[in-house]
Amino acid sequence: MSDVVIDIADARKRYRGGVEALRGVSLQVPKGGIFGLLGPNGAGKSTLVKILMSIVHPNHCAGTMLGAPIGHKPTLAQVGYLPEHARFPEYLRGGEVIRYVAGLSGISRAEACVKTEQLLEMVGMQDWGKQKMGTYSKGMKQRIGLAQALANDPEIVFLDEPTDGVDPKGRLEMRHVLMRMREEGRTVFINSHLLGELEMICDSVAIMDKGEIVQQGTIAQLTEKSRRYELITRGSMSEGLVQRLKEKGFQIRHEMGQDFMIVYESDPEPIQPILDALRGEGVTIVELRELRQSLEELFMESVGAGGVGGSRKGSTPPSLPRKEAIK
Amino acid sequence: MRQVLTILWDSYRLLAAKKLFWIVLFLTVLIAMMYASIGFTPQGISMLFGAYEINNDIIVEGSMFADYFYMMIFTNYLVPWWLGLFALVLALISVCPVFPDFLKTGSIDVAISKPISRQLLFLVKYLGSLLFVAVQVLVFCVIVFIAHGMRLGAWNFEIFWAVPLLTLVFSLIYSVAVLVAVLTKSTLFSLLVALLVWAVTLSVQWTESLMYKAAYVMPASGISIDVGRGNASKTNQELDANADIVGFYDIVRKAAIPFPKTRDLTYLLKKKVSVRGNDMTMMSAFLADEASASDVREAKATEDYDNRHSTAYIVGSSLGFEVFILGIACWVFVRKDF
Repeated sequence: MSDVVIDIADARKRYRGGVEALRGVSLQVPKGGIFGLLGPNGAGKSTLVKILMSIVHPNHCAGTMLGAPIGHKPTLAQVGYLPEHARFPEYLRGGEVIRYVAGLSGISRAEACVKTEQLLEMVGMQDWGKQKMGTYSKGMKQRIGLAQALANDPEIVFLDEPTDGVDPKGRLEMRHVLMRMREEGRTVFINSHLLGELEMICDSVAIMDKGEIVQQGTIAQLTEKSRRYELITRGSMSEGLVQRLKEKGFQIRHEMGQDFMIVYESDPEPIQPILDALRGEGVTIVELRELRQSLEELFMESVGAGGVGGSRKGSTPPSLPRKEAIK
Repeated sequence: MRQVLTILWDSYRLLAAKKLFWIVLFLTVLIAMMYASIGFTPQGISMLFGAYEINNDIIVEGSMFADYFYMMIFTNYLVPWWLGLFALVLALISVCPVFPDFLKTGSIDVAISKPISRQLLFLVKYLGSLLFVAVQVLVFCVIVFIAHGMRLGAWNFEIFWAVPLLTLVFSLIYSVAVLVAVLTKSTLFSLLVALLVWAVTLSVQWTESLMYKAAYVMPASGISIDVGRGNASKTNQELDANADIVGFYDIVRKAAIPFPKTRDLTYLLKKKVSVRGNDMTMMSAFLADEASASDVREAKATEDYDNRHSTAYIVGSSLGFEVFILGIACWVFVRKDF
């Protein structure tokens, strides 16, 4: 097995009525991490996942998932899936839903029973597994949804808005579950609008807009271009030093008795002469910290304004919101 | 196999969760028990386990007529009217939501994303829905079987022919509901269209049946009808068949070929079930020894009427309809984006 579990090239989907959901999506998902697919409503995220799960037929989609062509049914035995707005039969009990999904995946009854108990415990539903789905809250249903996605011990788990309807405590527990999946070596593919949560757990992300992948990579790679250092000093620098630093392009502000200096550098090496100069003038260095663009900012930059796709690739570092700059 | 069993198990759970299933099952058992309460004494017929007795000279304990009478109630009344009509309508109402619910977003996604072909998923889900009727009829038949054994001393396993026949009848109508559900995802629409198709089908079969009687059975029984004057007369002589009516019957018969034979399938049970070596269509075999020539002729005509279609024709044309409708439904299901 290669290091890439999903490798899609030129995925296209036009629905009846002419809606072009995917316009040649190419995507690589690395093995064994948490991958986030972001995008506004209608970007084509769910369509892409549904193509991978053989729920939607693409007009064109080259590539592989777990080494098999996209749409290869037997491969889905190694894949788990929690759809958005998942509906499970209300006449079944929580544990029965997991056994039902395990059965559909071809897991033996004995194995499914053992697995069910483990999964119920993992999602904190061990005391509720014998209650019918109709009696569950939305958050509890979502937990069972997460458990059923793992019923076949999958290599890849697709989760479409997994924290939808889950309370903050439940979200925290779900994050732990996702991280545990990663530790177990599974690949977790998440569609979500909750960028803050994704940022906390995702190893890599792709941003979709209007049926195209706009950005793709690890969060570190994607935010690299916005990496900067902020230096806070106490007391005023001399006019001469300020002038020299400004001439070199550094931004300096003076607020509430402190100087704020922002240096756009991905490498800390060029900072060192500045520190030497400040120390030489006897200026007290209060704080030096590295700042990066948040996932939300990256997302908004990618889909927020203007065109789509390639036009944004390789764009210059974004201008930072003032609040962020003086933080 | 594991996947097939899982879908069938889910179908069973779905049935068990439906109140209507238990209501229909209760009524079915009640009616079967009413049937089982009928018995025979040397004086005639007893009802409600002996609470009432009706004196009869012919239908008495141990007579062939008692055997025939008991089976006739089953094949000519209980099966066509309760199991073949009212219980089937209730079953259709109960089972109609199965496919529309299954096809809803969030529900279908889980099933269809598993390593099972869409064709197999569709067919097993369809077959699972037929359990509703199969279970009801099976329970009914078990009670009838025991009643026959206890009352008449004849353990007639042919009674269980009702299970596949009535399940097939239901499957014919349900296939229409499934096709509409796959196309529209609407429970109400699929129910209405299925009932409409059933009504049309029954109308065609009734017309064909009546036309056959008018063309062949009535002349053989010496009955003539003057349509212009609006009266009928009966003689003891066999009459010639009216060419115009026979011609019209042929047109109706051909027109009925593509339709599912729901009614004919229900009455096919009469051919499958026998009493003392004669199936229930062999009227002449059950006549008394002193029966008149006209009685024998009428019985023969009725036999011909009951046997006017071969089993192969009834089952074959019905299965052809079902395969056609299900084929379209399955094709749409397989190609559809959910």
